[in-house]
Amino acid sequence: MLIQYLLIIGVALLLVFFLRHHGTSRTAAWVKVGFVFFVIFSVLAVLRPGAVSVVAQWVGVGRGTDLLVYAMAAGFAFASINTYLRFKELEGRYAQLARAVALRDSRVPENAATGEREPESDDDEKPRK
Amino acid sequence: MSYSDTWLIVPVYNEAEVLGDVLSEALQTFPNIVCVDDGSRDDSAEIALNSGAHLVQHPVNLGQGAALQTGIEYARSRPGADYFVTFDSDGQHQVSDVKQMIDRLRLGEIDLCVGTRFHGDTDHIPWIKRLLLRTIVLLSPGLRTLQLTDAHNGLRVFNRTVANQFNITHNGMGHASEIIAMARRHGWRVAESPVTIVYTEYSMAKGQSVINGVNILFESILRTSSRR
Repeated sequence: MLIQYLLIIGVALLLVFFLRHHGTSRTAAWVKVGFVFFVIFSVLAVLRPGAVSVVAQWVGVGRGTDLLVYAMAAGFAFASINTYLRFKELEGRYAQLARAVALRDSRVPENAATGEREPESDDDEKPRK
Repeated sequence: MSYSDTWLIVPVYNEAEVLGDVLSEALQTFPNIVCVDDGSRDDSAEIALNSGAHLVQHPVNLGQGAALQTGIEYARSRPGADYFVTFDSDGQHQVSDVKQMIDRLRLGEIDLCVGTRFHGDTDHIPWIKRLLLRTIVLLSPGLRTLQLTDAHNGLRVFNRTVANQFNITHNGMGHASEIIAMARRHGWRVAESPVTIVYTEYSMAKGQSVINGVNILFESILRTSSRR
């Protein structure tokens, strides 16, 4: 079964590459290119199911539908990883922002031994929404 | 022995019930304490300020790792701060243990001292917790090479070198593994010190539950697998 090797090796390679080079504009470009190919493939699959079946025969999958399912699964896996990494990145930035705000508004107790700054005014006592 | 060169970093999230007592006890020994209020919905922040601790407030809840990082950044910007302690707000940690660890650090032979629950008698730790913590250690090559036995002990004491290089990017509970990774990367000299963790009814209900341990495990595995 050629398809098994193709799928496993392809996905593993892409995954390694993806995790290695995530966040560079080059990777982003390749992801877009990959997406375009994916769209073209999907359109062709809709227009000419027969052609997809032929390709499926080449790589050793039973029917064109199965090939589509595989492609979908791989696509979905990548979308998930991409989203996960993107979220992590965002969380990091969000934390930095919140930290900057927190440090700017730090408050020193009145009886502090080492407080060289005036305590902030107490007008922001209510929990911020 | 005066501890005016020491800063306690206390992450706080909805601990109004016990925070006052914990802080007033710690303040008797350590004059410098900074509480990082991680977006608590109760009046933890006011309690912290009134008891005499410095207060830094996250405008939103970020997680314990992020709170630690914020507290360390605040403490290391204070003049005369030489030693730093991460200390839980729920009363699990003992001031006497911290004193011991600082005295050890003052000898200048280590940079970072981590508390461990696994020296001598461990019967006071619930068995499921023991199993989980042991598993985390087994799965982490970093902990094995540094010969640390207690992955997720929140009590840590370190010097200026470590504080300046300290950079937790993991907001949630995976920060313990991240600290270990940092220690390896920067070549900090690490040792552990036996500490007593007081498991009260309150801290058991609040603390890192077993479910959370599963999260930690998952995060650690993910972190070690993607070397970035």
